Amino acid sequence: MTHAVLLWRHRALVGVLVRRELAARYRASVLGFFWSLLNPLLLLVVYSFVFTTIFQPRFPGGQPYPLFLFAGLLPWMFFSGAVLDAAVTMVDNGPLLAKVMCPPEIFPAVTVLAHMVNHLLALPVLVAAMGVAALFGAHPFPWTIVFLPLALVPWVLTAAGVAAAVAAGAVHLRDLRDLVGHLLNLLFFSSPIIYSLDGLGLNPKLMTVLRLNPFASLVEVYRDLAFGGRIPEMQTALTALLVGLVVFFLGTWVFSRLRDTIVEAV
Amino acid sequence: MFEDVSKVFRLKGRKGRHETLKGALFSKSGRRKAVDFQALADINMAVEPGEVVAVLGPNGSGKSTLLKLAGGIFRPTSGRVRTEGRITALIELGAGFHPEITGWENVIINGMLLGLSRREVEQRMDDILEFAGIGDFIDRPVKTYSSGMYVRLGFAVAVAVDPDILLIDEVLAVGDEAFVARCLDRLARMRRRGVTMILVTHDLDMAAAFADRGIYLDHGHIIADGPTDQVVARYRGDVAGERAEGEKSRGSVRILEEGRRWGTGDVEILNVEIWADGRPVRLLPSGGAADVRVTYRVHRPVDDFVFGLAWHGADGTLVSGHNTDLDGLEGELLEGRGQVSCLYSSVPLAAGSYTLDVAIHAKDGLAYDYWCQASKLQVTAPVQWPGIWAPSHSWKGYPEKK
Repeated sequence: MTHAVLLWRHRALVGVLVRRELAARYRASVLGFFWSLLNPLLLLVVYSFVFTTIFQPRFPGGQPYPLFLFAGLLPWMFFSGAVLDAAVTMVDNGPLLAKVMCPPEIFPAVTVLAHMVNHLLALPVLVAAMGVAALFGAHPFPWTIVFLPLALVPWVLTAAGVAAAVAAGAVHLRDLRDLVGHLLNLLFFSSPIIYSLDGLGLNPKLMTVLRLNPFASLVEVYRDLAFGGRIPEMQTALTALLVGLVVFFLGTWVFSRLRDTIVEAV
Repeated sequence: MFEDVSKVFRLKGRKGRHETLKGALFSKSGRRKAVDFQALADINMAVEPGEVVAVLGPNGSGKSTLLKLAGGIFRPTSGRVRTEGRITALIELGAGFHPEITGWENVIINGMLLGLSRREVEQRMDDILEFAGIGDFIDRPVKTYSSGMYVRLGFAVAVAVDPDILLIDEVLAVGDEAFVARCLDRLARMRRRGVTMILVTHDLDMAAAFADRGIYLDHGHIIADGPTDQVVARYRGDVAGERAEGEKSRGSVRILEEGRRWGTGDVEILNVEIWADGRPVRLLPSGGAADVRVTYRVHRPVDDFVFGLAWHGADGTLVSGHNTDLDGLEGELLEGRGQVSCLYSSVPLAAGSYTLDVAIHAKDGLAYDYWCQASKLQVTAPVQWPGIWAPSHSWKGYPEKK
């Protein structure tokens, strides 16, 4: 809890650091902030080509597949990007921690928020893609997309919790940086991002395992709103929120255990 | 304020601080072999508001750790550190400037990290820019700066924060002379405003000139704590002693009396007396003539020797220091016994009590015998002038006729 309070107290500082993060990322590139739009757009173009001409995966309720995939990939890119960056944020900001003195809590939070802003900047592409599909009658426009900010709450909480734990852990255990990439991969393929659970037709035991993955609820809530055009089931929505809260508290608890030695280890 | 503060760094494994997964998973007993390094041991010290303290000592003696503990960057392994007021740490100038964004944005961020609000930083921006003197570069990415501009901007931000306590770690070692002079001028002004300062430096002359008090650290222990010139002399002596150790021609420095007297013992000060009117005195009227007589015995003849005196006021401020080397006297050989006198035709000190440090040392500072407060003198005067200097003086008026 103190973690959240501390972040709130330093919100102005967190704000400028997020801006710095974004400004620094696009400084010296010709297109600047447009990359936030362009990146997902190019991704969508590539996927549309690959999955309509080369592969044609079929899932019930998963057509057209490129849009289905896009609605799953966008929040995942936000999450995985934030977690990967969190693994190096403490070392990157070592001079600030060791020479200027500032609370280490803010750095994983800044990483997550910067990626969230990036994600928000990509949303117009998602809306536009849905609009184009509706125009050509390929897919009804998902009006529930206006509730998307609510679906982001569990995503941000989960990302913040994992980022805090990874940031603090990676300082002491440098191997974690490489390990995190592989763990993310595992999570990616075990969550219904590129597929939906309904259409898999695997053996029931494996299905039960996949269904138990708490992360699946986050993906489903997001995709229901952004692609399916339906309000998620109450149970799934509550599960997603619960996952977010639990992960956030676990992550910040890990952080608090490691906090005092972070500066020395950086 | 430090109370029994210790700081232990745990160095893990052979490779030092980087713990690896392999080490974590495959250690036999589950407890890795940890090497503890005691950076500071049971430090007790209190710095009064407005005091300027110089921390001296060889590399690795714990100076920077002390500073980081004071700044709250490290936490003590045991004991407590208490501070009051806003602290700014000048540990590395421009630390944390992000190379890709402009100087202006960096100033805002650094200012906010140091505890100001965004508006406060903006209000002080003119002041910061004036001190940094980098002109239009403020709107360019920091990576385009020269190292001088970088350092100037870093210093400007840090002092603009207007801290109650300023911690300085060797930062003035960088930058050109003009910049250092401006920094010192700025620091002097802050000092007059009553800013408490703790500075770590290897520049002993700067320390002696700037600080009220010196603390000499070695291997995590406080070796000496007192008026800066005494502590500096003690440190110089030890450094020279270490250098001499290899030569074998000179003895090593020993502590003769904790905190007050040290030296190799090659020459021993037997007695120090202040004489006036043909007899040793403890009291002296202000402005009277006096001489200091130092009796010595030589245990091992030396050809490199300096006699030195340092007068201190009751609060430890240096009143005056002089030695035979600075006065241009060259010794040939010191052996046997003898006496050296320093003659004052007048002692124009204000009323009060004074202490006298006496030293016989080599030119490089190696102390044969360094004796702090070897003698005391009470100066009396019919009028209690404030200050320490009581020159004979008179007044005259020249009123203009209307």
